[in-house]
Amino acid sequence: MARTLAMFTDTSLCIGCRACQVACKQWNELGQEVPEWTGTYQNHAHFTDKTFRLVRFIEEPKPQGQMAWLLMSDVCKHCADAGCLNACPTGAIERTAFGTVNINQDVCNGCRYCVSACPFGVVTFNHDTGTAHKCSFCNDRIHNGLGPACAKACPTESIQFGFRDDLVAKATKRVAALQAMGFKEAQLYGADSQGFLGGLNAFFLLLAKPATYNLPDNPQVPQRNVVRDSVFSLGSALLVGLGAIFAFRRRGEGKESDHA
Amino acid sequence: MLKTPGWEWMIVVYFFVGGIAGGAYFTAALADTFGTRRDGTVTRVGYLLALPLVALCGILLIADLGVPTRFMNMLRVFKFWNPMSIGAWGVGIFGLFSVVSAGLSFSERLATLRRGVGLVGMIFGFFLASYTGVLLSTTAQPFWGEARLMGALFLASGASTGMAAVSLVLLLIGGATGEGWRKIRWADRSSMVIELVVLGVFLAALGAAARPITTGHFAPLFWGGLVGAGLLVPLGLDIVAHRVKVVGALSAVLVLVGGFVLRYVVLMSIQS
Amino acid sequence: MTTNLIDLQYADVIMATSNMAENHPVGFQWVMKAKERGAKFIHVDPRFTRTSAAADLHVPIRSGTNIAFFGGLINYAIQRNLYFREYVVAYTNASFLIDPEFKTATDLGGLFTGFDPGKKTYDRSSWKYQLDGEGNPRRDPTLKDPSTVFQLMRRHYSRYTVEMVEKICGIPKAIFEECAKLFCGNSGPEKTGTITYALNLTQHTTGVENIRALCMLQLLLGNVGRPGGGVTALRGHANVQGATDLELLYHELPGYLPMPLRDAHPDLKTWLDRETPKGGFWVNRPKFMVSLLKAWYGAAATKDNDWGYDWLPKRASADAYSHQHIFVDMYNGIIKGFLALGQNPAVGGPNAKLARAAMQKLDWLVVKDIFVTETAEVWKAPGVDPKSVKTEVFFLPAAPAAEKDGSLTNTMRLIQWHEKAVTPPGEVTSDAEFVTSLASRLQKLYAGSKKPRDRGLLSASFTYGDNPKEPDMLLVLKEINGYATQEITDKDGKVVYKPGQALNTFAHMTDDGKTAGGCWIYTGVTVEGPDGKLVNKAASRKPADDKDYLGHGWGFAWPANRRILYNRASADLSGKPWSEKKKLIWWDPAAPGNEPDKKGKWVGLDVPDFNPFLAPDAKNGDKPFIMRTDLVGAFFGPLNDGPFPEHYEPMESPVRNLLSRQQSNPVAKVWKVPDQRNELAEVGSTKYPYVITTYRLTEHHLSGVMSRYLPMLAELHHSHFAEISHELAKELGIDNGDRVTVSTPRGKIFVKAMVTHRLKPFDLGGRKVHQIGIPWHWGYKGIEGLPGSRGDITNDLSATVGDPNVYIQETKAFLCNVQKGEV
Ligand SMILES: Nc1nc2c(c(=O)[nH]1)N[C@H]1C(S)=C(S)[C@@H](COP(=O)(O)OP(=O)(O)OC[C@H]3O[C@@H](n4cnc5c(=O)[nH]c(N)nc54)[C@H](O)[C@@H]3O)O[C@H]1N2
Ligand SMILES: Nc1nc2c(c(=O)[nH]1)N[C@H]1C(S)=C(S)[C@@H](COP(=O)(O)OP(=O)(O)OC[C@H]3O[C@@H](n4cnc5c(=O)[nH]c(N)nc54)[C@H](O)[C@@H]3O)O[C@H]1N2
Ligand code: SF4
Ligand code: SF4
Ligand code: SF4
Ligand code: SF4
Ligand code: SF4
Ligand SMILES: [Mo]
Repeated sequence: MARTLAMFTDTSLCIGCRACQVACKQWNELGQEVPEWTGTYQNHAHFTDKTFRLVRFIEEPKPQGQMAWLLMSDVCKHCADAGCLNACPTGAIERTAFGTVNINQDVCNGCRYCVSACPFGVVTFNHDTGTAHKCSFCNDRIHNGLGPACAKACPTESIQFGFRDDLVAKATKRVAALQAMGFKEAQLYGADSQGFLGGLNAFFLLLAKPATYNLPDNPQVPQRNVVRDSVFSLGSALLVGLGAIFAFRRRGEGKESDHA
Repeated sequence: MLKTPGWEWMIVVYFFVGGIAGGAYFTAALADTFGTRRDGTVTRVGYLLALPLVALCGILLIADLGVPTRFMNMLRVFKFWNPMSIGAWGVGIFGLFSVVSAGLSFSERLATLRRGVGLVGMIFGFFLASYTGVLLSTTAQPFWGEARLMGALFLASGASTGMAAVSLVLLLIGGATGEGWRKIRWADRSSMVIELVVLGVFLAALGAAARPITTGHFAPLFWGGLVGAGLLVPLGLDIVAHRVKVVGALSAVLVLVGGFVLRYVVLMSIQS
Repeated sequence: MTTNLIDLQYADVIMATSNMAENHPVGFQWVMKAKERGAKFIHVDPRFTRTSAAADLHVPIRSGTNIAFFGGLINYAIQRNLYFREYVVAYTNASFLIDPEFKTATDLGGLFTGFDPGKKTYDRSSWKYQLDGEGNPRRDPTLKDPSTVFQLMRRHYSRYTVEMVEKICGIPKAIFEECAKLFCGNSGPEKTGTITYALNLTQHTTGVENIRALCMLQLLLGNVGRPGGGVTALRGHANVQGATDLELLYHELPGYLPMPLRDAHPDLKTWLDRETPKGGFWVNRPKFMVSLLKAWYGAAATKDNDWGYDWLPKRASADAYSHQHIFVDMYNGIIKGFLALGQNPAVGGPNAKLARAAMQKLDWLVVKDIFVTETAEVWKAPGVDPKSVKTEVFFLPAAPAAEKDGSLTNTMRLIQWHEKAVTPPGEVTSDAEFVTSLASRLQKLYAGSKKPRDRGLLSASFTYGDNPKEPDMLLVLKEINGYATQEITDKDGKVVYKPGQALNTFAHMTDDGKTAGGCWIYTGVTVEGPDGKLVNKAASRKPADDKDYLGHGWGFAWPANRRILYNRASADLSGKPWSEKKKLIWWDPAAPGNEPDKKGKWVGLDVPDFNPFLAPDAKNGDKPFIMRTDLVGAFFGPLNDGPFPEHYEPMESPVRNLLSRQQSNPVAKVWKVPDQRNELAEVGSTKYPYVITTYRLTEHHLSGVMSRYLPMLAELHHSHFAEISHELAKELGIDNGDRVTVSTPRGKIFVKAMVTHRLKPFDLGGRKVHQIGIPWHWGYKGIEGLPGSRGDITNDLSATVGDPNVYIQETKAFLCNVQKGEV
């Protein structure tokens, strides 16, 4: 396996220009959507089958009339332990040699299990193609020696692309520098490969708690419970089975007359 | 921010029908193995009921896919711990067992073979009734993903609805005269009791996470349709008047309604 | 701009007064780099924008009060001795003595000496230096004499206290003080700061003075000509800098030569006499003017016919043919035909309703554009019966940048070449093809004319290269660069230029017709290589690196490829860098001089903006501002509205001017337009109580044609909207997403309300003033299936008023009313 590639989205450098969002659409030929009124600049409200990079605009009023406007370019996290990949029954979702998670559109049959299995609400079903869609980490580009289109378009290097270990080292320094500058809540999200989901190959630097960005604090891979849940089912099967056996083992019932 | 899969009507029906098919099949198999010869109608009805239902399952499952022609892609891979993957395989294998068992149900000569097949197929019947629950409980969705007993609950419900369906058919074809009728009502009662108990533990374990069904829009349907009309009332009717066939039939119908409501509220409560 | 965006990263403090992150996102990377290096970043804007989101401090300012703000900072720096004294004394006119007659607005109730209330102009005769016997300005280097510019300035801004700033601008005292401390505190030999600006300062009836106030602050803090310093003007359209340099303007000829006025400049001699100063680099103006005329009229331009000066069109008045003036004339039936080449005034111009009505009165209208714009369909505007519009409209499809060779000059004065990537489809032609073919057709039509006035047109050549239909753009650039019209030899008779050879530097331009050049500042962009082939430096692409952080190998920055103007100021009087940290160019006494026996040269990280061999101790060797007659930076700088910027309220304002009884700029231009088409709201109007500002969004481009028509961009914003504070929304019962009506005396529009914490009412010393904001990118054309790509035209609200120096519109601050629903 090649060295794991990653995208590091440093929200402290993001200016919300949405060049990434548009570059993704353009490169991947995703086409027009009808926007939603979200009450802010953000469009769309969530990832869609045609919006794989989504810049979030979070207004946070602060005391004394001050405020913060948190800008975050969100994307599929390319989880090391990916719920979507675990879920996929067709093998359409595959882990590439670079460690990224990609949906093979020619294989996907549209069962949508992946949609329900992503802890971040990334994968989206497309009713026209009948298949599931999400960021491919620009699979075509990285296999041809190019970085992702979104990273390429970002004017402030808020999205950085490279080998994961290099980027994590960089991000660790950056977060320390920010904390020294007074950004007390600056933190990395998903950089730690010992942490949740085995680490995210698209990880983030946040300026506030994950919850502020609507991100789960401790996302879990949904399949972790499959054994336990199955054992419980088995227990239930035993009980009803025993009940039935008991019922059918009862003799002499037939001797009673019917009361129709 | 989470996304729901959009498993709606077809899947509600699929889950419901799959539960009945599985329940009917294992009831048939158990009756065959552990019952008397007079329980033969139950066995035959169970197997013959499971067959079309599992076929319907297959149709629904395929029809609900975004690209139905690619159903076979499910069989490209086998992921042992993936409910959807083994589910697809499971439905297929169970279908085969249903065909064989249905065929064998007409022959007394091959009873031993039938029992053997039935005992193995029964495992897949149990599987079909419960894997749908585990499928939901291993998603990232709120409520579903937290419901550790979803599979157990679906299984109990599959059993009770399967038995209810078999007893109704018995009544319709006039086979409700024998002791099979009473046995299956008895078994159904026990399943209902088990289902109630599992449901209780299910709700207690979920606590606030069960809110999508216990409060709000879906609450009346859940409490009234499933807990009340679908479990408590038929159980009460059955206990009080299980000797009266019409009452037994009514309670079977209610059990079926309850089984449907369960699938409906569980699937739709967080998807609409 | 005096500096270069790459250099921004070395600032210690950056104050964006424009919305840089949203409108110059690519340039903004250097602000982010500076921040990563630990620089502080301040954003001054009425709204909290994406730029504010990146800022250490957001300073909310009521629109139209910029001079009060800068004046407050100037006062703060002077009062607290935060200015860079050595720099100020040596490099600016602070120490110069002014005519004792002259009085500032502090003494004259908001006016300067010489105001003529009848004509609404100033007699500027007292706005001048005291001269000594030799005609040189008198100076007091101690800055103590009350007649020094410094003392006059101090007195002028003494009224601009922190409290006054709070009451006028609505900036809370604590925030202003923090801002002042941050910005003024980063001054001196070791520190520099820069200020960015764009329309936030320009689009006001005090537009030019706003910018002067900014420049004065930068001079006071010693920030001009030094790394990490400078005046960062952020230009607009991709090539608006180029358009300005080549002067697609009403009042100048290419290379910032004044456009002749009909009465003031009857002949070349008068023009040269009036427009050539006695000192500074502009003493070379005659060379540039004659070379320009030679470039245009070729062999027909001779000394005897004033090089064709008479053929130049002349301005009838100072404001004539400025943008707003044109539409007023059009409405009045004076202008009957209009060529709109890449412009969409039906949406983009101020008072757009007037502009559309004016265009609907034309005999003919030609629109050459890459899209069918609102202007191209002005006869189909909402509320107009197309049958009633008699204008004959021609639409000519235009090739955009990617379909043609050419250059764009960006905000850093950087000329960058682009090559045609695809051939335009069908009958689409480039603007150059259109202009040259139109000109040669006109020449054919006029071929027989004997009229003297037609000789200019007939003499000019519009052929560049072999194919008359397709001009070779490199040859156009060469003509702009300049070339020898005949053999030029040096004093030893050695050939310096063959006929037709491209000039290497504007220093070689002459006023005797031996050189031709379309725009002197561009000279050097194309030079002849050793092989005799033309080298296009605009196409060079060597990126910046550690050895050359300013990237001199990338494109060509005018003049002479220098990246930071006035960079002599980066060294002290003796020619040494003010500090090691802030070094840029310095005097190297050991370097070989310009003659074999001489030593000493200016060297360093940039091309010196100075005579490279003029030693610091030589006469004027310590005067960096070579473009100025007096060679120093000007605090005292006469403009039409005064030598010092003074705060006046916008033409439409919710409050009285607190600084003087002079409510608005006394010499601003307000056009009289018939049919109540340019009514203004009165001061403190109750009918129009809210301040409104108009602006851009990152996702859209100007009148929206190049973004609204593109689905991927159009879908980024749901629809046209107005940003409204929660406080105002509450007062008016408006919810986020409600439709609202925004109206002014000129018009009304319907938009969606975006209720946000990013706008807050201003507290002007106890009085609450609400401000709203509306982007102006929408018009009546858009994309099928994307309803939000169409919307009402914001400019139907704005007025036809202008700054008295350049007649720019006041679209950043005026008054409006907001009502819930469509009323
Ligand atoms: N994405 C994008 N980029 C563009 C353009 C575009 O259309 N789209 N247009 C280009 C062009 S042509 C130009 S000229 C530039 C313009 O660049 P900017 O000048 O940055 O553009 P605006 O958005 O018009 O106005 C800037 C800000 O001025 C604020 N403002 C209003 N009044 C005042 C005031 O009195 N003082 C201060 N300090 N701020 C005030 C407004 O709230 C607004 O945020 O952008 C260029 N870049
Ligand atoms: N209220 C308000 N009004 C404003 C402003 C504001 O801030 N507030 N800002 C003002 C400013 S700074 C500006 S610059 C103006 C802009 O106003 P305009 O210049 O009128 O607006 P654009 O939409 O840029 O129009 C340019 C047109 O050129 C076309 N075009 C692009 N490339 C080419 C080409 O190569 N050839 C030809 N022939 N056409 C081409 C585009 O399709 C577009 O239709 O608006 C001004 N109006
Ligand atoms: S973020 Fe979601 S879609 Fe992306 S890899 Fe992880 S689980 Fe899959
Ligand atoms: S929808 Fe497609 S990608 Fe998603 S789990 Fe099903 S087959 Fe796999
Ligand atoms: S990596 Fe490629 S597919 Fe993914 S968001 Fe970026 S541009 Fe889109
Ligand atoms: S392109 Fe970069 S700066 Fe712009 S929104 Fe995306 S991540 Fe942020
Ligand atoms: S559109 Fe062009 S000029 Fe504007 S920010 Fe982007 S690169 Fe710069
Ligand atoms: Mo502009």
